[in-house]
Amino acid sequence: MFTLLIGGAASGKSELAESLIIKCGALPRYYIATMQPIDDESRARIARHRAMREQKSFDTVECYTGLNNIKLPQKGAALLECVSNLAANELFCKNGAGGNTVEAVLHGVERLLCQCKHLVAVSNEVFCGGCDYEGDTLRYMKVLAEINRRLAQIADNVAEIVCGQAVYYKVSD
Amino acid sequence: MIFITGPLYSGKRQYARNFCGDGDMITEVQDLAARCADLPALADDLARRYKVIIATEIGGGIVPVDEGQREARDKAGRLSCMLAERAETVVRIFCGLPMVLKGDLP
Repeated sequence: MFTLLIGGAASGKSELAESLIIKCGALPRYYIATMQPIDDESRARIARHRAMREQKSFDTVECYTGLNNIKLPQKGAALLECVSNLAANELFCKNGAGGNTVEAVLHGVERLLCQCKHLVAVSNEVFCGGCDYEGDTLRYMKVLAEINRRLAQIADNVAEIVCGQAVYYKVSD
Repeated sequence: MIFITGPLYSGKRQYARNFCGDGDMITEVQDLAARCADLPALADDLARRYKVIIATEIGGGIVPVDEGQREARDKAGRLSCMLAERAETVVRIFCGLPMVLKGDLP
């Protein structure tokens, strides 16, 4: 089962994603972390998320680029947080996929789906703040938008998260 | 308490007037979040004092370059989550049309 959650900044995506994983029951839980600790702000964000899931028995697997190289020890429930960070890393990091980012991320998610019973992927809504962007920002937006659309196509469930509430656009039977 | 959210100028306040007078509602609470050091206490206080609480959604779009703006919209988002948790009913307005996200309309 693959669930995709998309929302704006601090919309409650993570907490909801974690609760969906917990609802999967007594399976091994993996948290695939994509944010690189590059400065104080990112380190504070990582610490906040670690504290949030502290009591929830997740094994954290760090993955900044190359999601297709991940090997999960057991078939359990995995939370990928977040697709928008992974896409930025692939697009802009030296060892990232660059122009091949869309395929790299999608291939990585497909590989991940084979390795777990449940996958919850979190991504970001960054598209409703106007159209006045250019250069690398615009390039990133186009890449992330395509990834979001294609993930939504293969996902069983897709929800937009608004103040911690899920608005489902697609629900599996 | 009814928590109403939605984009700028989507008709949140007009919709809120179905449930209470202007004196029983507070609008633009996202602005209070930015300068607040204790968000849970703010959420508790607002939930106790008002029948209807309105927040404009500001967490969409590309992450701002300015650190203060990033922090402000993160705090606004967190306050909205807390208010939604405390609300009996959560409604999102889109082009003046309500979508109930939690609970039932009174």
